[in-house]
Amino acid sequence: MIVQPDVRVHPGRGVARVDSLLPGLGPQITVDATVAGLGDPRALLLSGPPAGPIGEGLESHLARWGGLPPLDAAGVRAHLRASALDGRGGGGFPLSRKVETAMLAGGRPVLIINASESEPASRKDWTLCSQRPHLVLDGAAFVALALGIDEVVIHLHRSVGSASASLETAMAERQERGLADPRWSLSSGPDRYVSGESSAVARFVAVGEARPLFTTIPLAAEGPSGRPTVISNAETVAHLSVIARMGPDAWSGLGTASSPGPRLVTLTGAVNSPGRVLEVSGPATLGEILAADGMSNPPAAVLVGGFAGTWLLGDDAWQTPFSRDALAVVGVQPGCGLLGVLPHGACGLTETARIVRYLAGESAGQCGTCVAGLPRLADSCESLAAGTFRKRGVRKMSALADTVLGSGACGHPDAVVRLIRSTLDVFEDDVVRHLAGHACRAADHAPVFAVPEPVLAIGRDDTREWT
Amino acid sequence: MTAQIRIDPTLCRGHAICALFFSDAVDLDQWGFGKVAVSVIDSERDLRRARRAAAACPNGAFVVTGADGSVDNGARRPRRLRVRAAR
Repeated sequence: MIVQPDVRVHPGRGVARVDSLLPGLGPQITVDATVAGLGDPRALLLSGPPAGPIGEGLESHLARWGGLPPLDAAGVRAHLRASALDGRGGGGFPLSRKVETAMLAGGRPVLIINASESEPASRKDWTLCSQRPHLVLDGAAFVALALGIDEVVIHLHRSVGSASASLETAMAERQERGLADPRWSLSSGPDRYVSGESSAVARFVAVGEARPLFTTIPLAAEGPSGRPTVISNAETVAHLSVIARMGPDAWSGLGTASSPGPRLVTLTGAVNSPGRVLEVSGPATLGEILAADGMSNPPAAVLVGGFAGTWLLGDDAWQTPFSRDALAVVGVQPGCGLLGVLPHGACGLTETARIVRYLAGESAGQCGTCVAGLPRLADSCESLAAGTFRKRGVRKMSALADTVLGSGACGHPDAVVRLIRSTLDVFEDDVVRHLAGHACRAADHAPVFAVPEPVLAIGRDDTREWT
Repeated sequence: MTAQIRIDPTLCRGHAICALFFSDAVDLDQWGFGKVAVSVIDSERDLRRARRAAAACPNGAFVVTGADGSVDNGARRPRRLRVRAAR
């Protein structure tokens, strides 16, 4: 099959249109690129009331969206297939495949909605759960219906109090109204970065240990509880609640051929409002997304997909459409939709060193090479940033990165290696300058990214906490 | 004979005994943690070596699986290493 590029950018007009499509993937897309924030009527998931302390109530939700459409299990599965809804937690795995695998595996499946959003700077799942809880619950109810089960676990990190309060209020409202909902349970797990990984979430819900599993069997076929386990991101299921109402074709048409439907992104770093969540429809470029936050010129660089993401030079990023295909061309995955902006005058090597140090501390502490290797990689990144590195050091660091790649049960070490490789690639000139011993031009620049302190003690708070 | 081997990195503690029994199939990193280099077993001899490595692993990290994907570590205990006296 020949995969054609799904978008063509017309530079002069600032509007990208889809000119060619893979056959059988929804209607011809002609929507203009739209970037909208919470409360903006041009948005889909984020439309409605502005940010409030408790989120949109059931009355307002039903008035805007109408009641749940009368779909049966086969109908929901058909919608999932037709919309090609891809997972929005980072992996991009189609939800319909997970559901179908679980159905084929037999037995009573477990459904977990992963709203833990381990990526520290990402706010999209938090925004949905705290501001639009009924969209998440509607979607979760639909997936439960498709799987033929009447029980849903919603998993959050312990630190996101306001989102879980909002979800609990929403659940109570729905019960009062007598909606035909599944039984909800909220699970709150440790805040560690790796504990939001899907197998870690499945294991936490099954046996109370929030660490990734080493398994060659997909969770959807057999999870740690022995039952098929479907784990879906909160944004993903929120989209399903909209798909069920507007139909898969109209929804897919709001995206591009490789990235159906609208997507949520979170801005962080040197932007006007860090932590702002935007909804992107149509083939918007990263430049158009950043322009929606008031940026008028390409920044130095953009970190795409999360802290363990991939760097793009600002000029390249500005022109790149935010779709899976277009990003893949420049070696980037959309991940959880985080866009971290590095301003001119800041040092990408310093920022990377801070991120790698954080990620090294967030390992689940299971796999030896991750435990031993990531701190060493962080040391290397720090001495590279500090300019105390020699050329041999870079070779050693690359060899160490090769060792660490693919050594873990989960993708954590691989993601760190990907980040380091993209750093060496994108900031090549800076690397040369640092190696030559010249003083870093950004030595006294304030830290750009809000990198949290790592949760260092491993296993300290890996106990289960249920409500 | 389509056995496969894998090393569970969450269990591996870097004893490196698997590499002693089956060096062709295991790459050790600088800390002694093993990574499977060749995962498919295609001879009786290699299967014997793989099972010995599996039985010798003190953490149960080295696993041999049969054609159907089920664990097939074979004999429980490793054959004793024959140590010749140095002369």
